[in-house]
Amino acid sequence: MKHSELISRILIATVVLLTVATPLYIWKRTPLIHAQMSEAGGWTPGILKANAGEPLHLRFTSDDVIHGFAVGQLDMDSIDIEPGKVTDITLIFDKPGIYTFFCTRWCGVNHWRMRGTIEVSGSDPEPTPASVPLYVTLDVDIDAPHESPAVPDRQPSAIRGWELAQGLDMAALADPELYKSSSPYQIFQQLENTSHSDAEKWDMVAYSWQFNTTSEQLASGRQLYAQNCAACHGETGAGDGVFADDIADAGEASMESMSGAMASMMQSPANFTDPKRMLGASPAILQGKILRGGMGTGMPMWGSIFKEEQIWDLVAYLYSFQFEYEE
Amino acid sequence: MNRIELTRNRFLKNILVNRYPQLAVFMVMLVGYIFAILAGLIGTPVGSHNFSIVFVWIAWWAVLILVAVPFFGRGWCAICPIPLPGEWLQRGAVLAPPDKKPMWLNLRWPKALRNIWLQNISFLLLALFSSVLLTTPNITGIVLAVMLFGAIGLSTIFERRAFCRFLCPVGGFIGIYSQIAPIELRIKEKQVCASCIGKPCYNGSAAGYGCPWDVFPGGLTKNTYCGLCMECIRTCPHDNIAVSLRPFSADLAKPSTRMDEAFKAFIMFGSAMIYAGVLLGPWGFLKDAAYNVGTGAWFVYVLAFLVLIFGVLPGTFSLGFLSTKNPIPFKQRFASLSTSLIPLGLMFWVAFSLSFVMTNASYIMAALSDPLGLGWNLFGTADAVWQPMLTTILAPAQTLSLVGGLIWSARTAQKAANEVQVSSLPLIAYSFIATVIMLWLLL
Amino acid sequence: MRFYFSLLLFVMAGLVVAFAPLPVQSIAPQERTFRINARQYAYSPSEIHVNPGDTVTFELVSTDVVHGLYVDGYGVSVEADPGQTATLTFTANKPGSFRFRCNVTCGAMHPFMIGKLTVGTNDWLYRAIGLALLAAISVFPLSSLFNRNRKKEVL
Repeated sequence: MKHSELISRILIATVVLLTVATPLYIWKRTPLIHAQMSEAGGWTPGILKANAGEPLHLRFTSDDVIHGFAVGQLDMDSIDIEPGKVTDITLIFDKPGIYTFFCTRWCGVNHWRMRGTIEVSGSDPEPTPASVPLYVTLDVDIDAPHESPAVPDRQPSAIRGWELAQGLDMAALADPELYKSSSPYQIFQQLENTSHSDAEKWDMVAYSWQFNTTSEQLASGRQLYAQNCAACHGETGAGDGVFADDIADAGEASMESMSGAMASMMQSPANFTDPKRMLGASPAILQGKILRGGMGTGMPMWGSIFKEEQIWDLVAYLYSFQFEYEE
Repeated sequence: MNRIELTRNRFLKNILVNRYPQLAVFMVMLVGYIFAILAGLIGTPVGSHNFSIVFVWIAWWAVLILVAVPFFGRGWCAICPIPLPGEWLQRGAVLAPPDKKPMWLNLRWPKALRNIWLQNISFLLLALFSSVLLTTPNITGIVLAVMLFGAIGLSTIFERRAFCRFLCPVGGFIGIYSQIAPIELRIKEKQVCASCIGKPCYNGSAAGYGCPWDVFPGGLTKNTYCGLCMECIRTCPHDNIAVSLRPFSADLAKPSTRMDEAFKAFIMFGSAMIYAGVLLGPWGFLKDAAYNVGTGAWFVYVLAFLVLIFGVLPGTFSLGFLSTKNPIPFKQRFASLSTSLIPLGLMFWVAFSLSFVMTNASYIMAALSDPLGLGWNLFGTADAVWQPMLTTILAPAQTLSLVGGLIWSARTAQKAANEVQVSSLPLIAYSFIATVIMLWLLL
Repeated sequence: MRFYFSLLLFVMAGLVVAFAPLPVQSIAPQERTFRINARQYAYSPSEIHVNPGDTVTFELVSTDVVHGLYVDGYGVSVEADPGQTATLTFTANKPGSFRFRCNVTCGAMHPFMIGKLTVGTNDWLYRAIGLALLAAISVFPLSSLFNRNRKKEVL
């Protein structure tokens, strides 16, 4: 055949081959962690490996909506993972162990299930003993109903409570250990032998709660709540978040094993504005529920994600749906 | 006739006739096409950041409907890469004809299918699945691959460009719309063709191949089926074929009386309205129905789509000229009058596409730098933010297109109505109502 | 001659339709707040009407994934995560019809997640319809005059 024909054919074949081979080759050699909504697969791969003390370089992309990445129990800012784009991050783990990484931007009702693990190997000269949650130490059944037998007629105010508490021995009433292990109702009961009205007693309970709460805790709790809880529990804490109906619907199937009021309560997100429920719950119970999750109710377990102080911050914030605190 | 013969210019003619410039363009297109298939199949599933979605449904579509079709007719067909691998196989060469041609089946396309009905159907199929197609990279990749390999397969069985002429969903509408383009390929003198022996323009010669579009250039009176591949200019031994500039819409002066083309006009103009409503409107339930293929809502959507296109639109159109006293058969009236919907449909697509393209053109910059969503930054524009463009001129541009289209359609209706002895008033009223609906959907 | 005269008449009528000031209803500007739910792939409500000069607040409530709301023509936007209602406030000083759309990739049909904001009356649409009517009508006298012209030239 003519030279021109031969050269043209070789040119076409080479160019086409390069067009196919080059992107394929680069694609195969680009390890990316794909983030997808939980229903579509979550994190792929979902298990990462690293060595303590060595930098771990991770490249993420989202295959559908905006996701985020953070590692639980670490002090790190989360990064956003945008659809169709690649985000890099380098992590260094001081201590070996199994870390949980999780999605930090709401990506559907199953957003909280979007978690993976990083297995960090190495030797640990000072292993940290696992801490036992307070509810276990106190041997409290966090699944048992905790309805408060009495509820205030009006919202208890810590400001009024402060005025009323002048002269009282707050150190005893507001002892941190007592605070953590008692429900507001129990503290209310402790004020039985004083000459105050019920409303005033509740105000003093509110004040004792404020005594154990700093404004930094409230601020931190508020942010944690907005980012992690409001979608189900509602921005006003009323259990009416955007996913509340979806969770209730999903729970219908498992309702067969339960019955009555217990059943419907178990499936929709808790209403933190309900005094019956909240005032009968001690911080230990709330901490326990947050740590352990809801055993199939749709309430996530946060134990591997939040540090202990973050959970106490959150617990402190939850009571602000019941008590009026001084800003 | 007011024609300006472009091929009189030696330089221009040389570029068109010489096989190398064409081959260079072909290679670029083929590489782009193959890369689009690859991007669709292995790139990010996020459409707005995938080369296949951005460059097929935003960039290529914009150039096609805003520039190529209105100004160059079948100009896209002239450079389209889909038929190339199959044709090279079929011909046994990528440049001039070889001494020994390979023995493929070269069957003639079956008579019953020698029309554009298959193209009407293939376009409709794409349209019914369009919400998924336009947004899902691997579906786009698969469709592009099916067309490429389908064309290759057909080239080994049938003669000439069977895929292009009888199956391609895009070619179906480019063909009828090319009738309005200001460019044409025609013979210069009839007598020259009459006395030409062998008709190498159709049968091929050592200089080139017979028309791959299965058109006899000597009989070309309209742009509809000529793919501007330039083979006939290469083979004509009498230099009797020219590419010329001409007034817009010249082919509509002799309206077609083919039913397949008539329905194509309705398919296109109806789809433009449906797309404007479903994709650009504020009605979420329509988008859900269109996107959730396989659900009950989607079947209702499909039914409504088909009823509109094959029932409501042609039905109400026909009301304007139902008179039985007219000596001209109804089918002929219907077909020739529906040509008035050709400029209307084109301008509907222009107006719709302007909105979609201007809103999303900014994705082109990001997709250029990171076509597969792998984190590349080839041109430094990978982080380009989404930003609608030229929003202030959008409404005026759409209005001009739609009102311009209406005037154009009305003129076409008048000429066609004259030929078939009906009043153009109902037709113009019909086009007016459709234009108002389109204005309401877009503005 | 008659043709050019008629053409001029229609062009002037067209300019009037396109640019003549329409009577403006002066309604005192108010503060309006709209709670807009966003889901894949629609807003609810998806069509909103306010008066020119109103101070408009959109409370964007995302109900499944992160969504945004960008207003064409005004160029203002906001994004909201589920559980964190976001607020966008702006003054609706430009009259007409504006699409608002999602500007955070929220899934496949994201580019088509669209709503419509109308500030005052959608004058442009009415003018465009007026122009279309004028165009449709003008074809009749203009074409017969044009043909008569042509015939005269041929003769």
